[in-house]
Amino acid sequence: MADTPEAIKKSIRTYLFVGGILFLGTITTVLVATVPWLDVGAHGFDKWDCVLGLTIATIKAGLVAFVFMHLNHEKKAVYWLFASGLCMVCSLAGLTALALGDPIFDSLFYSGH
Amino acid sequence: MEIPYVVTPRKDTGLFNAKIAIWLFLASEVMLFGGFFSAYVFLRLGADYPWPERTLPVLPGLINTFVLIGSSVTVVFAWASLKMRQWRKFQIFMGITVFCALIFMVLKGVEYNVKFHHQAVRLKDYTIMEGHLGVEKEGETPVLDHHGKQIEENLIYVETSKLTYNTVRFHKPWVEELLTQAEHEKSKIILAADVTAITKEKEPAEVIAKAGEPLSIELLNKIQKAHLAARAHNGADRTAALEQEWVKAHAAFPDKRDWQIASGVNIDMKALTPKLLDEISTVAFSVEPATRFDFHPRDIKQADGQSRLRDDTVVDGKLLDSPMGFHHIDAIDFQYLVMKAAAKGISPEVAIENSWLIKNSPFAREAWEWHQGEIVKLKADLLKRYGVDKEGNPKRFPTHKELYRIGWKDFAKKAEDGGHAKLSSADSFKEEFLGPNYDARGDETFPEFSIPREQVAFAAKFTPAWNTYYAIYFTITGLHGLHVIGGALVLSYYLFFGRKMYLTNPEWLANRVEIGGLFWHFVDLVWIFVFPILYLM
Amino acid sequence: MSSHATSDTGHDAHHEEHHYNPGFLRKWVFSTDHKMIGLQYGFTAMCFLAFGFYLMMVMRWSIAYPHEPLPGWMNWIFTDGWKARWLQDGKVTGETYNMFGAMHGTIMVFLGIVPLGFGAFGNYVTPLQIGAPDMAFPRLNMASYWVYLVGGLIMVSSFFMESGSAKSGWTNYSPLAGFADGQIVNQWLAGQTQWLLGLVCLITSSLLGSVNFVTTIINLRVRGMTWMRMPFFVWSMLVTGFLLLLAFPPLEAAGIMQLMDRVGHSSFFMPSGLFTKSEGLANLSGGGSPLLFQHLFWFLGHPEVYVLLLPAFACVAEIIPVNTRKPLWGYKSMVYSVLVLGFLSFVVWAHHMYMTGMGAAVSTFFQTTTVLISVPSVVIITAMLISLWGGSIRFTPPMMWACAFIPMFGIGGLTGLPLAFNLADLHLHDTYYVIGHFHYVVAPGILFGFFAGVLHWYPKITGRFMSRTLNHLHFWPSLICMNIIFFPMLVQGMAGFHRRWYNGGDAYLAQAADSVNIFGKTVVQHIDMNIMMSYGAWIMAFFQIFFVINLFTSWKFGRKVTSDNPWDGTTLEWATPTPPGHGNFLKEPVTYRGPYEYSRPDCEADFLPQWAEPKHLDTAEKPVAKH
Repeated sequence: MADTPEAIKKSIRTYLFVGGILFLGTITTVLVATVPWLDVGAHGFDKWDCVLGLTIATIKAGLVAFVFMHLNHEKKAVYWLFASGLCMVCSLAGLTALALGDPIFDSLFYSGH
Repeated sequence: MEIPYVVTPRKDTGLFNAKIAIWLFLASEVMLFGGFFSAYVFLRLGADYPWPERTLPVLPGLINTFVLIGSSVTVVFAWASLKMRQWRKFQIFMGITVFCALIFMVLKGVEYNVKFHHQAVRLKDYTIMEGHLGVEKEGETPVLDHHGKQIEENLIYVETSKLTYNTVRFHKPWVEELLTQAEHEKSKIILAADVTAITKEKEPAEVIAKAGEPLSIELLNKIQKAHLAARAHNGADRTAALEQEWVKAHAAFPDKRDWQIASGVNIDMKALTPKLLDEISTVAFSVEPATRFDFHPRDIKQADGQSRLRDDTVVDGKLLDSPMGFHHIDAIDFQYLVMKAAAKGISPEVAIENSWLIKNSPFAREAWEWHQGEIVKLKADLLKRYGVDKEGNPKRFPTHKELYRIGWKDFAKKAEDGGHAKLSSADSFKEEFLGPNYDARGDETFPEFSIPREQVAFAAKFTPAWNTYYAIYFTITGLHGLHVIGGALVLSYYLFFGRKMYLTNPEWLANRVEIGGLFWHFVDLVWIFVFPILYLM
Repeated sequence: MSSHATSDTGHDAHHEEHHYNPGFLRKWVFSTDHKMIGLQYGFTAMCFLAFGFYLMMVMRWSIAYPHEPLPGWMNWIFTDGWKARWLQDGKVTGETYNMFGAMHGTIMVFLGIVPLGFGAFGNYVTPLQIGAPDMAFPRLNMASYWVYLVGGLIMVSSFFMESGSAKSGWTNYSPLAGFADGQIVNQWLAGQTQWLLGLVCLITSSLLGSVNFVTTIINLRVRGMTWMRMPFFVWSMLVTGFLLLLAFPPLEAAGIMQLMDRVGHSSFFMPSGLFTKSEGLANLSGGGSPLLFQHLFWFLGHPEVYVLLLPAFACVAEIIPVNTRKPLWGYKSMVYSVLVLGFLSFVVWAHHMYMTGMGAAVSTFFQTTTVLISVPSVVIITAMLISLWGGSIRFTPPMMWACAFIPMFGIGGLTGLPLAFNLADLHLHDTYYVIGHFHYVVAPGILFGFFAGVLHWYPKITGRFMSRTLNHLHFWPSLICMNIIFFPMLVQGMAGFHRRWYNGGDAYLAQAADSVNIFGKTVVQHIDMNIMMSYGAWIMAFFQIFFVINLFTSWKFGRKVTSDNPWDGTTLEWATPTPPGHGNFLKEPVTYRGPYEYSRPDCEADFLPQWAEPKHLDTAEKPVAKH
């Protein structure tokens, strides 16, 4: 871990660089969402806007977590602790969303429509 | 024994206590916000109304994102400065961080405030109108309520002749409110008839309150007290009487179960009645002369003749016209109407043509016709830019929202097309934060409008009540805001009260700042998802 | 042989204790010592349990004798004013029954068993067993207790309000819960809102508690206490901590959203076009989903079952080896089972929601995971059972309870299997079968485990044993009554008795003569069981008095322990002085071996404590140098 003053001094530039990327990522997301001729997929909001927006957000979140929160050189225990939360969130969001419709049988029964 | 690993990390785990704790806490925070995000997904996928896409002004959200990212960088720098034992630099960077939190909350406050003053209404045919409510006026001066606030024109008016209070449940502020209104209208609310009741066993009825006594909380309290005492007394007597009946019944039918004989076991009311006291569960007041009282729509179930307040107060009187008065209309939205029409197989154009609004408002008809012209232009533009696919259909076409919603920017454009003066760029910039500038754009752009009450299906400010989108928006951003405030408080504690610890145990302070910083980054991380999900999608 | 503790750690370090001399308030009320907080938790939780039990006794009266006034021995608690408001001619009304039912569930689960298991046992025993001087964050620990108490009082105080307490079941489903108490204008003073506020406090408390526990267990283990040398109790607490940490926040989210629905008139859980008889068409935007609440609630609700259960497992798993003088059979598989159990408990929640019309694929998924999760539970229970095999069992008071726990919990667990299956659940859903099933788990299961725990650690806490005679008077009637109460529920449930009948099915007797709708005939056949079950409950309540007497009199008059290790146990809590002072250990202990070293052939004594230095032995055991 970057604990010694020298190591910290070195990482200052990394922090600035990451900050810059975060700014750029934000601007990209907003431009894609608001400027019509940069729009991906169909005109207006559609699933590709969603995928692109969330991908950029995930990358940004990853940078914050790994660089600013020092996950890049953190102990294994921390990964376990944090991953347990992420894993459960996926189960919560995924399964509740699935429970809205039936991914297997609905498509079978309603394929005639 | 002392608690170990408070400052120095434990060798095998490599972590000091607080660091484990903060990561655990963050894991649970992930679950908390995860719960809200799941709710967002669930509500959006399952929504049975047109979900408001890209409906918030982007600029305040964007600035707030920059502010939070910036503060995330400075909080790392603050920690790094502390590690390098540069107190001055630490102060500067931490100061910037806390200042960023302040900017964030101020912008958030502006955003909220605009919404709390913006009204939406859904008509019975699912047309939605948005705008700014007018205020009630007498001549030219606005009427103030007894808190000194202007009264908005979204009230139910009842020409009240009688008020009947539930003696247990009456809501004191509402009683005071009506007293104030009566004073203003110079009418009196007085007890309709003598309240007489037997309040002591085996004694004749006595007058508790005389007819003509004015309504007051004290009077209601007095009657309530008599009522509760009588209720308690009667309850005890009735219980004792029923108990005796059951003793007799069990003696008479020793082999029977309760349910076999229950229908024959009843209190002997003839014997009991003389012992009972009078319960006064309601008390009636007459209003002289009959006066127009105002009620908030959420508080009253209105009906001609007899309305009922939520605290069970019965309001007798004629229901007056209670139109919902908009000072400015700034959006007309047919999306929901079109969605409902489609379910019935009616084409959007026919449904809109037949809507109450288009039939009754020349302004709305004109705006709708203008809007259709704009759509033709938009379609042509999309065709020119993107062309057609193999089957000859246009590759891109206008969205549902573009087709069926006339927003405030459309109204502004319409007015400008019609020769209305343009706003200065500074004023336009301000509009991005505060919404349409009614004063500058005037009544030609955003006209007055009055909706008869019977056309109103549901009305609310842009608060959580308006729809599930605003509900989840306010809940997530509100909770996130609380996290920002909490984080800022902790960080400013280190900033203003950290000096002593810096001098005695700088490593411990650095650890603490690291922990606080981790929380701060997490708050930023949540916002990174909140911003696109709520503002851009 | 039982003087290991005193001889090994010695009294020379006694002076350390003298530094710590807090005032009365700091020692008894605002204590930061994990043992005092544990006792506070235990005492408060037992008060809430007694109150919850009382609510149930009133409910049982309503079920057995819906036409008769509540008898004097039960209604003396209330004032005449309260009775006149909530009882009709002294009879329990449906609304009152709903209130009591909702609060019985809430109090028992959130205010009784979780604080008793996790708060009390966890707090008292965990730091001792890992050799820690205290929890990692003592002040956080104190805060956690006080937030819990405030939350509990907020909930319970709503009984005295005009609105009454929450009345929509402990699950608080919207839109039922959303409309309850709608007539109260100031929603902050409505019972249904207070329930939510209380819940937010309780969740905050568990959150603080679980962060503290997990940190303590990860970082404060003493030298030599490797993961696989931790007693099973500590493992259970670790998993429980994770369950609380990750499962509660979604319920907090749901609670906040329901609060918004109540005070902000939002429609998170209110569908479009909601119409009620009293309100007409609701003045709400609609567009929300009642199912969302159920998802978020049960995402907590199922792990919560294991939050209740694991501390009881933990107590029993400690008591069995001590009293069989034999290592816990399959310690490692138990540890892995409890980890798997913890993980799986997050992906089974929708088996509470088969009736909501989820898709068949999702139902199948949850059915599969639900059946899967029975595997680790069965592994743990089987390991406990096999641990008894061939042991020289000492039927000490705690061991009696522990032995009763196994079959009672077994019945509870096995009756759950039919509920796991979608098809069987269609019939059994919301019947007394469900009530019987989970009460077998919670009442004779978990509570027996806790009684065992109290009896087991009482000598460490007070320096005295609890009375055997009083324990017999408590144990046998409890065991018999539990079965009298809960077994008929399974029968009634299969006959179709609904769990929320306030009059025990009385209303259906009118159909008894109906030749088309024959349900009334079924009700006639089973309705008299109600009386037997109710008497079971009241008699059991009477015999609990002996436990209370035992608990308090033994503190002063119980038989004194003669050493710090009265049961000849091996785990570290027995290495402390009795009762343990501030900082727990006189000298930092070192762990040399696993937690259950009983009857080793190479040892003279039939137990070898974790802290006993290996010099007594031929086989050299060294502490693992991880520090």
